[in-house]
Amino acid sequence: MARSPRSRGSGEEAEGKGVTGDLAARIARARQERAAQEADTSRRHGDMTGMGRALRFAAEFMAAIIIGALIGYTIDFALGTTPWAMIGMLMVGFAAGVLNVVRAAAEANAAAAVKGPAPRAVPDEEDDD
Amino acid sequence: MAGTDPIHQFNIVELFPIGTIGGSEGEGGIELAFTNAGLFMVLSVLLISSYLILSTSGRGLVPNRWQLVSEMLYEFVANMVRSSAGSEGMRFFPLVFSLFMFVLMGNMLGMFPYFFTVTAHIIVTGALAVFVIGLVIVYGVIRNGFGFLKLFVPSGVPVAILPLVVLIEIVSFVSRPVSLSVRLFANMLAGHITLKVFAGFVVMMSSAGLLGWLGAILPLGMTVALTALEFLVAALQAYVFAILTSMYLNDAIHPGH
Repeated sequence: MARSPRSRGSGEEAEGKGVTGDLAARIARARQERAAQEADTSRRHGDMTGMGRALRFAAEFMAAIIIGALIGYTIDFALGTTPWAMIGMLMVGFAAGVLNVVRAAAEANAAAAVKGPAPRAVPDEEDDD
Repeated sequence: MAGTDPIHQFNIVELFPIGTIGGSEGEGGIELAFTNAGLFMVLSVLLISSYLILSTSGRGLVPNRWQLVSEMLYEFVANMVRSSAGSEGMRFFPLVFSLFMFVLMGNMLGMFPYFFTVTAHIIVTGALAVFVIGLVIVYGVIRNGFGFLKLFVPSGVPVAILPLVVLIEIVSFVSRPVSLSVRLFANMLAGHITLKVFAGFVVMMSSAGLLGWLGAILPLGMTVALTALEFLVAALQAYVFAILTSMYLNDAIHPGH
């Protein structure tokens, strides 16, 4: 009678170790899953609709050209070199607009690229360790 | 035709005058008045503040529905700021959250019939965008000193074309507030005009007899679909405004590409 509780206790202790080990593993797994889920939801939020992306590119491109032309016009107005500064700055604005669009597209690509390799990257690192 | 004029909804109406500055009216003085635009801006601030204060006043460990929505908004913006500007960008969280809530509430109030849409006026979105870029410049210079100018000098560019590249980078930087404000303003303006035009078709066609009544079903369906789209655009544009703000703030914190 006295042995059985003790044995049960030791069994519980052994089980307890197993349980804590299991619990730690489960917590780690749950954390990983949650991080992946969070990253996933944040990415889903970050994924703009096609129209939103198109409007963004259009606005980026147009804004740079308008700003370039405005700067050129102001220089012309101040120096009286109409219309040469405006023509030059319009071209610079065009280049800046292309730069803006390329940058926005690169951001969108980077956001899309994270979707694929990211879940694979985690096990790879673990394998290397 | 006043009922179906698609631009009429953007009229600014004086509610009561406040006074004039720079001389009296008619002598080059500027008249100040409390307008319907001001009314809706005050209204959105009051609504946001009272909603957040009332919903979080319970401080439940297990949140009720209202508190849950507030916490979701908080976490949504906090994750956005953290992912795009780093944990250091969290000091700008109150600003980004306020901007997000103000734009969102302005857009959503505009979805009520007969309400005024403050974000469909470029002066409102422009002021917000100029404030954000001004903050980026001021904070960038305070934090990094001349290092902030590295933002305009990409690394690995030959010296021969560096002046041109710097010029292009500067124009690109200056164009940011314009694209930030124009995008929000154009989205809201175009959406509300389209909505009003299609809704106007319903009124015009239904006054043309039975055939018109049947034909009016088409623009009516379009109006319903556009309303749903406008709700999406309203939320999306608030999100885009906030995430671009935190990306620009990231430039101020970490200049240089």
